[in-house]
Amino acid sequence: MSGSDPTAMLWSPLGSLPLAHLVPTGLGPWGDGMARLVLQPLDLLLLVALVLLAVQSGRPWSDRLALVLPLSWLVGGLAGLGVGVELPLALPCTAIVTAVGVLVTLGPGLRLGERLCERLLLGGSAALPLLFGLVAGSSLAGHGGALPALLGEAVAIAVVTTLLLMALAPPHPRWLALGLRVVGSWIAASGLLMLGWLSRHPL
Amino acid sequence: MGQGWGPSPWSVQRRLSPLVPALAAALLAPTAAWAHADLHPGGGFVAGFLHPISGLDHLVAMVAVGLWGAVLGPPALWLLPLAFPPVMALGGLLALLGVPLPGVEVGIALSGLVMGLMVLFDLRPPLWFAALIVATFAVFHGHAHGAELPAGANALLYSLAFVIATGLLHLVGILLGEARRWPGGRALVRLAGAGVALVGLWFLVRALG
Repeated sequence: MSGSDPTAMLWSPLGSLPLAHLVPTGLGPWGDGMARLVLQPLDLLLLVALVLLAVQSGRPWSDRLALVLPLSWLVGGLAGLGVGVELPLALPCTAIVTAVGVLVTLGPGLRLGERLCERLLLGGSAALPLLFGLVAGSSLAGHGGALPALLGEAVAIAVVTTLLLMALAPPHPRWLALGLRVVGSWIAASGLLMLGWLSRHPL
Repeated sequence: MGQGWGPSPWSVQRRLSPLVPALAAALLAPTAAWAHADLHPGGGFVAGFLHPISGLDHLVAMVAVGLWGAVLGPPALWLLPLAFPPVMALGGLLALLGVPLPGVEVGIALSGLVMGLMVLFDLRPPLWFAALIVATFAVFHGHAHGAELPAGANALLYSLAFVIATGLLHLVGILLGEARRWPGGRALVRLAGAGVALVGLWFLVRALG
């Protein structure tokens, strides 16, 4: 990066360095960033798990998530761009996703007290996307078009979060409440497999 | 609500709304991206999704979990498919950590045979016992799958697809089991149980032979 304008490098749609953590979609860094959410789905799994946890705990809380989650991810991502080196946090991030998936699987039967539950959810929904954004941002740092890619993924996160919250707004019929827990168990299972994979093939 | 006039537009929207995330996911997955994704057996969503479907021993056992759940009725109907993926993944984790599990192939074959017989003879043990049986077999299935998890670049997509396919096979079993509500459905379900047991027996003979 030395010798060139870092801002121009970040914005450059055809940066000279390849985006090693992005699959080229042909739609430029913005589109690559949006696709990253689906093609490297750790952030997506966290998003879905947090949304499910929120909707399981009731509507007033889940409405706030549409703002908190994408914003904190974006703030973390911007901070990550400034870090400059990729943070080796794949294992803890996967463990976090697994843990949130387990909480969703256990469902609303896990009562910790309403206020404590809400505070934990609020804190978690701000802190965890912040951490994941930080890791994502650090993995993109130093590459051409990193900022548009990051913004693209942030927009995708905001859109998916909003759509999920709209679609899954409580109250839920019994079959859907069970379905949410099943999806939680799938997230937990994927996370467990990934934890094993990471222990065998450290990144 | 407009009594007698059918569902209101609001209720129609509520019914359709679960489709919105699926639509969003489809739109957010550009087709150009798939051309560059790992589509070979070494990784990727497609490979992970096809993996549980490609082995007959695994396939019938996954369907049998849902089928037996349907035969047992609630809460086993949802509890068994809910518990199976994480326990299976635990087995996969053990394999990936290098923890050996003897008789994996025998355990997998037995899972089909035992659950098939349960469905065939309409056996309904207590929930804890049914859960114990299913969880034990889930560890064997998971261990086999975990040992086969490839060193591809997109392991999370592979794992996710693999788990989703497993869950959908449970759903197939549940839907098949729900045929019990219809005339002649019980016989159909028992026939399916017999088929699962036969496949399990065949694999057991192969594993022991």
